[in-house]
Amino acid sequence: MSGAFQNYVKNKFKKPGPLKGIRVLEVCTLLFGPAGPSFLGQMGAEVIKVELPPLGDVTRSLNPFGWFYKEQGPAFMHINPNKLYLALDLHRDKGQQIFRELAAKSDIIEFNMRPGVPDRWNVGYEQIKEFNPGIIYIEKNGFGQWGEYAEENRPSNDGAAQALAGFAWISSFAGRPPLKQSIWVCDVFGALMGEVAVLSALHHRKRTGRGQYIEMSQIENIMRPMGWVWPYQQFAGKSAEPSGNRDQCICPADTFLCSDEKFVAIAAPAPEEFGGLCAAMKRPELREDPRFRDHSDRLREENALAILKIISDWAITKTAGEIESLGKEFGFAAVHLHNAQDMNEDPHRRARGFVKEIDDPMYGQYVDHEFPVMMSKTPPKTKWNVRPVGFDNDFIMAKILGKSQSEIDGLYRDGAIGKWKDQQGRRPPADWDQKSGLILRR
Amino acid sequence: MKEQERPSWADWADRIRSLDDPAKAFEKPEALDDLVVLDLSSRSMAGCFCSSLLAESGAKTIRIEPPGGDLIRTYSPGGIKHQGTGLAYLQEGRNKFHITLNLETEEGREILKSLAGQADIVIETYPAGMMDEWGIGYKELSADNPRLIFASITAFGQFGPESVNRQYDYDNISQARSGIQYQTGEVLPEGSSCREKPYAVPTKSGPWMGWATSGTFAAVGILAALYHRDMTGEGQAIDVATPEAYERLNDYALHWYADQQVVNERFGSLDACLWLYGFYPTKDGGVFLGGLRLEMWQALVDMLGKWDEWGAGEWKSLAPFTQKDWQLKYQSMIDPLTSQYTSKELTDKSIEYSKSGRLAPITPVVAEIVSPWKTMHDENWLDRGMFTPVEDPVYGPVVCAQAHWKATETPPRTKWVCRPVGYDNGYIYLKYLGYGPAALKKLEAKGIV
Repeated sequence: MSGAFQNYVKNKFKKPGPLKGIRVLEVCTLLFGPAGPSFLGQMGAEVIKVELPPLGDVTRSLNPFGWFYKEQGPAFMHINPNKLYLALDLHRDKGQQIFRELAAKSDIIEFNMRPGVPDRWNVGYEQIKEFNPGIIYIEKNGFGQWGEYAEENRPSNDGAAQALAGFAWISSFAGRPPLKQSIWVCDVFGALMGEVAVLSALHHRKRTGRGQYIEMSQIENIMRPMGWVWPYQQFAGKSAEPSGNRDQCICPADTFLCSDEKFVAIAAPAPEEFGGLCAAMKRPELREDPRFRDHSDRLREENALAILKIISDWAITKTAGEIESLGKEFGFAAVHLHNAQDMNEDPHRRARGFVKEIDDPMYGQYVDHEFPVMMSKTPPKTKWNVRPVGFDNDFIMAKILGKSQSEIDGLYRDGAIGKWKDQQGRRPPADWDQKSGLILRR
Repeated sequence: MKEQERPSWADWADRIRSLDDPAKAFEKPEALDDLVVLDLSSRSMAGCFCSSLLAESGAKTIRIEPPGGDLIRTYSPGGIKHQGTGLAYLQEGRNKFHITLNLETEEGREILKSLAGQADIVIETYPAGMMDEWGIGYKELSADNPRLIFASITAFGQFGPESVNRQYDYDNISQARSGIQYQTGEVLPEGSSCREKPYAVPTKSGPWMGWATSGTFAAVGILAALYHRDMTGEGQAIDVATPEAYERLNDYALHWYADQQVVNERFGSLDACLWLYGFYPTKDGGVFLGGLRLEMWQALVDMLGKWDEWGAGEWKSLAPFTQKDWQLKYQSMIDPLTSQYTSKELTDKSIEYSKSGRLAPITPVVAEIVSPWKTMHDENWLDRGMFTPVEDPVYGPVVCAQAHWKATETPPRTKWVCRPVGYDNGYIYLKYLGYGPAALKKLEAKGIV
């Protein structure tokens, strides 16, 4: 791109992130809540993660089949980089008072509690707005803050959202049971969309000085990218149905089994792409076949099945790698299915700094994702990892709130702030040297 | 709303609804209505999704298509059209002005420069390098307009060894490259092959989640760049690769392999990290069962009448249940039990259990796995404004998913769903370039608009 991204990875740390100067307070657990503030943190905002002492965020306990990284939950690590860790007991008056003092100095507040809980803790939107009218305050949950389901106090999570939005229904093969995604798609995509709302509100505040309250239901939000499903149902008068790996709106676009037992995804809807694929298959006549010539005709059920059968019969005679190369040569899109090994070893991801080594004072060197938006003048960055519950209390109290040491001691004594329990995921890793990562030593 | 006892926090619900009900969205200001966006997306719904998110908050969004329209207008199940436009684009044409411009001509490119000189944001999805070759890349456009935010969403990104490939960005390709498709899908039973069971293979998500995710990340980047510009006056270039954006949603597979050389494999509708957490069959379909605390899992066992037989009272920790072999063992024990009920019966049982069960009020999460048809007709979502049809002057009433977040001050809203190809040429070219009917006619004759 004409130099805008020349030496981007090398020079990344010469410039601040775009949200420099923004302060975010987060009172969130699991994934849907904390993922959003992390995105802001990776873009340079100062994010204070508020946890309830001494156990904090339950995600600290999550692990795939028993694997922890230095005693820490790997999902917790991926979801929570670049934050400061404060353990504040919001059940106590004094803890609520500290929260309000921080809220007075913050731009954005994010909660993912049940409806009405922040209010009960005297840190709800209307209570904060009284002294900080510019505050942008978002609450995220399953069913929103009002309506029949919300009032039934239904609990929710990512799996329930996939089920209730109709998302899982259309993500399996036809005739098979609905399929759950292996990732927490409603959580993290919902968190991301929440930041669209928050950052739009930030622009509005810049123009008018006015803050606002935003509510985000992860179930509703995942309906938004389901796009064509809704008008289809309206016009066809019936439900949208699943179609496995075949894209129902683009043809050909599907996943095929190859001779080496690997899978390759192919897409070739545009005329020159489809022509390229036909040429690669040595079937140039298909390009002019009246069933396939025009994309809209090709999408008709019987025609789509016919061309996909032809491609499938061809793909099984080639390796996935051969088809990937033919895609480059003949100008259609094709890629073998990447797995976790590809994610780690692919030179392209590394060259872009998207997959990179983090050098963390507490967790050492490990591999993580960079923020997937590269910005030429204000590069976002993943910098450091998670900390034990309440690890940055003293720094936050002294630096941001200007508390004296005796006041901080008093807060500990009163139980307004607290530290981690001596338990996996809450305490520092076993090889910690008692000082690395501390900003203010106590 | 059905008659029901209202919760203790009902006053909060009423108050917040009075402030953020999407039924009142049109009475409120728009967050981004001082901005002009040019959307040059080609073949990629990621770019259109991105510009939709800005247009829903009021940005004046000008969609630029080649004469004849973008291929994207043909994306539709079965190829069906509604008044000439595919159903997918009837969602992502929303709130945009539609003009045509032939960027393959010198004159067309000069016109684009004039538009970009007056714009705040450009979104484009051409393979990396194409805009530069045309002389309308970030370098050229920012020279005239240094405040410009120029976002590219592509298959490979703007740099890195693969970025020389001129392949377009398609959702199914990006899902395949992200690593997520590989680890999602039914498990192939021991001893069988995917030739016999062609459904037990890596499976992508039905919706275009690759495109939606990169489009949304790009919108987040654009809005953050806007904040930076508000503070400094400086614009910039933004680079999003769809497979990377989608891969970022994958929470531990990368690290797991790096540390343990474990490749995250398919685990059906269970979850490698969580118990109780998965899809289970019912007489009439299926349900999601969830309970991330030991008591919730015990409550399910009790509810299914197996408290004593399975010794649930003795369980001390959830940890062993998240192990792979225990997950599979208990899944096979739960399946035949849930199959005896309909989804509704199981849901009702869980509500009943929360009132009178041994562990009440603790109860498992039971959520019916519904069809999108059922979702679209559910009173709760209708009441919350999710499917309020858009009354479009050209396309008539069209159901769109909207109000996907609610806000007291600047809520998103959908004003129209789409426009036919070149529908706004007259208005936009007059407003920004002073081209009246005579000038447009000449450009049309030359195939430029």
